[in-house]
Amino acid sequence: MRLFLALTSVTLRGILRDRMLRAILGTVLLLILLVPVFSMFSMRQVQELAITITLSAISFFLLVMSLLLGSSSVWRDIERRYTSSILTLPVSRRAYILGKFSGIAIFIVCCGLFLFLVSVPVIMFAASSYPSDVPVHWLNIALAIGADILKYLLVAALALLFSTISTSFFLPFFATIAVYLAGSASQEVFEYVSGQFGTELQPASVAVIKGVYYILPNFSAFNLKVPAIYGLSHSPGGLALTTLYGVIYVVILLVLAIKIFSRRQLP
Amino acid sequence: MKSESIHSIEISSLSKTYKGRKGKAVEALSELSLTIQNGEICGFLGPNGAGKSTTIKILMGLITATSGTATLCGLPVTDPGARKRVGYLPENPSLFDYLTAREYLALCGRAFAMDGESILRESQRVLELLDLREAADRPVRGYSKGMVQRLGLARTLLHDPDVFILDEPMSGLDPVGRALVKDILKDLKSRGKTVFFSTHITADVEVVCDRVAVIVGGRLRSVDVVDELLESGIEGYDIQVKNCAPALYAGLTSSPKASDITEIYVPRDRFNEFLAHLGKNGGDIHLIEPKRKDLEAFFLDILGKG
Ligand SMILES: Nc1ncnc2c1ncn2[C@@H]1O[C@H](COP(=O)(O)OP(=O)(O)OP(=O)(O)O)[C@@H](O)[C@H]1O
Ligand SMILES: [Mg+2]
Repeated sequence: MRLFLALTSVTLRGILRDRMLRAILGTVLLLILLVPVFSMFSMRQVQELAITITLSAISFFLLVMSLLLGSSSVWRDIERRYTSSILTLPVSRRAYILGKFSGIAIFIVCCGLFLFLVSVPVIMFAASSYPSDVPVHWLNIALAIGADILKYLLVAALALLFSTISTSFFLPFFATIAVYLAGSASQEVFEYVSGQFGTELQPASVAVIKGVYYILPNFSAFNLKVPAIYGLSHSPGGLALTTLYGVIYVVILLVLAIKIFSRRQLP
Repeated sequence: MKSESIHSIEISSLSKTYKGRKGKAVEALSELSLTIQNGEICGFLGPNGAGKSTTIKILMGLITATSGTATLCGLPVTDPGARKRVGYLPENPSLFDYLTAREYLALCGRAFAMDGESILRESQRVLELLDLREAADRPVRGYSKGMVQRLGLARTLLHDPDVFILDEPMSGLDPVGRALVKDILKDLKSRGKTVFFSTHITADVEVVCDRVAVIVGGRLRSVDVVDELLESGIEGYDIQVKNCAPALYAGLTSSPKASDITEIYVPRDRFNEFLAHLGKNGGDIHLIEPKRKDLEAFFLDILGKG
């Protein structure tokens, strides 16, 4: 356990001491602080717009972070031969991957929480200047950010898995983006082929599309922005299911990453 | 804990073939077998590309052998636990460049299950030993090559392991550093530690090693006890004699050293005969110096035979 914490903290320190990542965080922070200004452009729905922009900014930031951190993780340690200085300690490859992921995960979770805390006064300010009919649903906003965090943990795990195969930044980065885009659209495609349109297609292609749908992570399941903006209610069962889905998917990706990394030859 | 029958390092018929691009395979090691006894210092000598680093990386679990097995302290090298009592120095170490030396050592200490207090104490000890105290709180990014090498060495000493596996420990070090490493190795030997280190430099082997294993082209060529090797390499003696009749050394190379001292080179097979003559006919021995092939010559011989 101490070893796991030590590995996590090494990963975290690497992230926190990276200037580029700090610059990105600073940019997003500035963007969120400017939200009240942007929201003025909407004459009537200032509060709704403020929530939308804030959530989108947080979501985009977490996406960029999870992509960058996941895609630049394992292969880069191999290339820089950090692996030869850490895996020659009594450290298993499993512990290394788990430490790596947990460092990235803690960073993403902390960023999400931090940005949520920053967005509270910002949204309050925007909402107070032009009060809306609907009160702000803080719980829903928190849930939307929480679901986003889970979604981007999944993205990070995916990028980490690709980075255990790769020898450069490109494969994990673009493969993760591809899976992310496909996985965000898969729900719609699935519903499309399941309905009227499906009957016009060959049954084989419908089966393939459905198969891909079940394999790809379903990212749209984690999108809780609409209820957050308009204060609609959630079903606790649905939330629990989404969480379970995300967690199980992350676990599967990490198990695969460990399997692959364990067989990798290191310089 | 360690029973006598368990060897520190045991390598048996290890082979490694790298899969190159376009199906070109490189056979880096073939059927290498070598046992390192507890408490000995064994040099691993070989030209560039001989397979020294390949062997060592297999021992440290970084790469897997194509066939054959290896154990560290009785445990298979595929088990991370085998590395608990081992200090390893990679060839051209590359350490987390955003960590400071102290932070890096703390990470290593945790991996070796040391407690917080001994991590602090031992870090300080090894940093002082390797003369890194001033740089200890700066990120490794700003270290020179030799400083990184020193930190790599510091790491191997941190948890006072029983077995040391060092890939070119002297590389990148200044003369003071080299001397320091030799002293450290001698100290390790006096404390009964086992050391297996690769090198190109035969002189280092001569000074510190009990045995030397020579590897060429992925095959083990020879394993010898260094002292025996040096003794067997004596080719003759330079003898300085006083007041000696010139007839005695007719036919031998000689050169006058001082007014009454002459230096004579006597081949090994005529040494006893010469001493006998000298005893009979009178004359004083001023100095005897054995002339031996050094390890370098042996090494070049072995390479030449290939
Ligand atoms: N990752 C790799 N892929 C392909 N071939 C490799 C790889 N690593 C090493 N080799 C080859 O294996 C052989 C042995 O290499 P190794 O690094 O073990 O040599 P070495 O004895 O340590 O040499 P040096 O004294 O230069 O450090 C060389 O022919 C090298 O080209
Ligand atoms: Mg080498």
